[in-house]
Amino acid sequence: MATLHLNALGKTYPGGVTAASEVSVEISDGEFVVLVGPSGCGKSTILRMIAGLETITEGELSIDGARVNDREPGERDIAMVFQNYALYPHMSVRKNMEYGLKNEGLPKAQIAARIAEAARTLRLEEYLDRKPRQLSGGQRQRVAMGRAIVRQPKVFLFDEPLSNLDAKLRTQLRAELKALHRRLGATFVYVTHDQVEAMSLADRIVIMNAGRVEQIGTPMDLYLRPASRFVAEFIGSPSMNMLEGRIGADRASVTFGQASALSLGFDLPGPAGHPIALGVRPEHLHLAPGGAGGIDLAVQFIEQLGADTVVHGAVPGAAGPLAVRLAGVQRYEAGAVLSLACSAENLHLFDAETGVRLAADAV
Amino acid sequence: MQKRVIFRSRSLPYLLVLPQIAVTLVFFFWPSYQALESSFFIEDAFGFSREWVGLRNYRDLFADPGYLRSFRTTLVFGLSVTALALGTSLGLAVAANRVLRAAQSYRTLLIWPYAVAPALAGVIWYFLMNPSMGIVAYWLKGLGVEWNHYVNGNQALILVVVAAAWKQISYNFLFFLAGLQSIPKSLIEAAAIDRAGPIRRFWTITMPLLSPTTFFLLVVNLVYAFFDTFALIHATTNGGPADATSVLVFRVYNTGFIGQDYGSSAAQSVVLMALVIGMTFIQFRYVERKVTY
Repeated sequence: MATLHLNALGKTYPGGVTAASEVSVEISDGEFVVLVGPSGCGKSTILRMIAGLETITEGELSIDGARVNDREPGERDIAMVFQNYALYPHMSVRKNMEYGLKNEGLPKAQIAARIAEAARTLRLEEYLDRKPRQLSGGQRQRVAMGRAIVRQPKVFLFDEPLSNLDAKLRTQLRAELKALHRRLGATFVYVTHDQVEAMSLADRIVIMNAGRVEQIGTPMDLYLRPASRFVAEFIGSPSMNMLEGRIGADRASVTFGQASALSLGFDLPGPAGHPIALGVRPEHLHLAPGGAGGIDLAVQFIEQLGADTVVHGAVPGAAGPLAVRLAGVQRYEAGAVLSLACSAENLHLFDAETGVRLAADAV
Repeated sequence: MQKRVIFRSRSLPYLLVLPQIAVTLVFFFWPSYQALESSFFIEDAFGFSREWVGLRNYRDLFADPGYLRSFRTTLVFGLSVTALALGTSLGLAVAANRVLRAAQSYRTLLIWPYAVAPALAGVIWYFLMNPSMGIVAYWLKGLGVEWNHYVNGNQALILVVVAAAWKQISYNFLFFLAGLQSIPKSLIEAAAIDRAGPIRRFWTITMPLLSPTTFFLLVVNLVYAFFDTFALIHATTNGGPADATSVLVFRVYNTGFIGQDYGSSAAQSVVLMALVIGMTFIQFRYVERKVTY
């Protein structure tokens, strides 16, 4: 149980490649923090720096207030679950879990007690004497977690632990992981590229892009008030629609191309003609009765998911496609035109050049 | 998918394996049979007559203290070569495995000694350690070691052990390096997080995972040292001084071609054959049981 402070952490490889820079996060005791981002964004590098598997080239890392930059992985009192589980193939499940405890020099009775408890909570009792290759993917995953739990570390680190499992098992283990976190009350740092996993597990999400932190916040912060266009498009599925346009002459509307314009009903910051991106989530658009909506959508195809229907199409005059998520089973032919509306609080405006959120206070 | 081929004609499959069988029969079974047969006879040096003597050649052999000493020499030689070759190559492989840049060129450079013929390898070391002009002998003299393998039997044995091991190191190195590289890095990292230091990691994770490679190389090296080092010894010490480096394979040659005692030489060959068969048998029994994880 511990706090974890990442202070302007950075990693530059000897060749000059920078994997991460200026990453600052304060993780409090018992928090479940998820690092999320596309592949190559530096999230795994950050996790491996916390673990001590990568040297820290810039900044400072402290656990419980003590600087640990130069400590060996074994001296940091952390445990890690790897993407490929990294179970020792020549040892039984029991030996796998014992290994770290034996290295710590714990008395035998205590080791046995901890393993018995972990095996019970993870339902591994009957597999203790099997070798890893005799287990299924889900079981191996649980052994990897067991190996971390028995250590009773200050911080648990997870490196995409569910990405090698099939979708159904992933959902199930996600719930188990969440329950485990509640029961242990320990500090978890979790890396994933799957935004659904991040949203469902995290107390707070650190979303990264190109080695830098884009935004830190609760899942709902990120969903409702994305700080940048990148965050807006990364979180949520199907992802947020982005319509590129310019601030209108009255500074209260957005113009698309020559013809069409969308009146917003509030003032925009910035000069007329400034390029912006207007974002709206598919689930926040709804059909306007009687064609009274501000946005017309020419239907191209639909995805029927049962619980809801995603309609894909194009907005005449505006660049880029648009998707709408409508509740229930809906049927539209390609070419039909829908009139859509959206309440002002669900509109997100971003500077088209910098990607930074605009009008955060105006909305 | 059908893996087994079914032939329509009965004779074709036999015809297809015939060349292989013919080669085996002519070059392996026939000489082996000849050796076995000769070992029951005493022959005159010119091959004009021979006399059936039953097991006398074998009785004489095992009553000969020189032959029994050869057994001991072979054992010491074989185990030393194997230990030295495996130990050194493992050390080199572990070191090379840590090198990321130019790993390919290291590997290429280190394989070179394997391309050197055994006799030549022997000669190289013979010159290096020659008491009157060898550089290594000169260095040893500087350290206060009086090196003369012409006189000192133990030093002669050390010379052939070093030369034989040196030649085998590159071969072992390649296998060890491949074995080390097939161990997932995350296992070593997991062990590091589990508070195991580098040495403990090596013995508890790396070595067990490397055991199939190690066992394979152990067998290869033992067979090499026991049965494949004739040329090397012939070119360097010629079995001497005073039989100190006369291993079993060398003795077979010496008895047969120098001493012209074909019967005893054949009997020695049969003993060697029995040894090879025994070792192969142990290898296959053992390989399937213990060295898996």
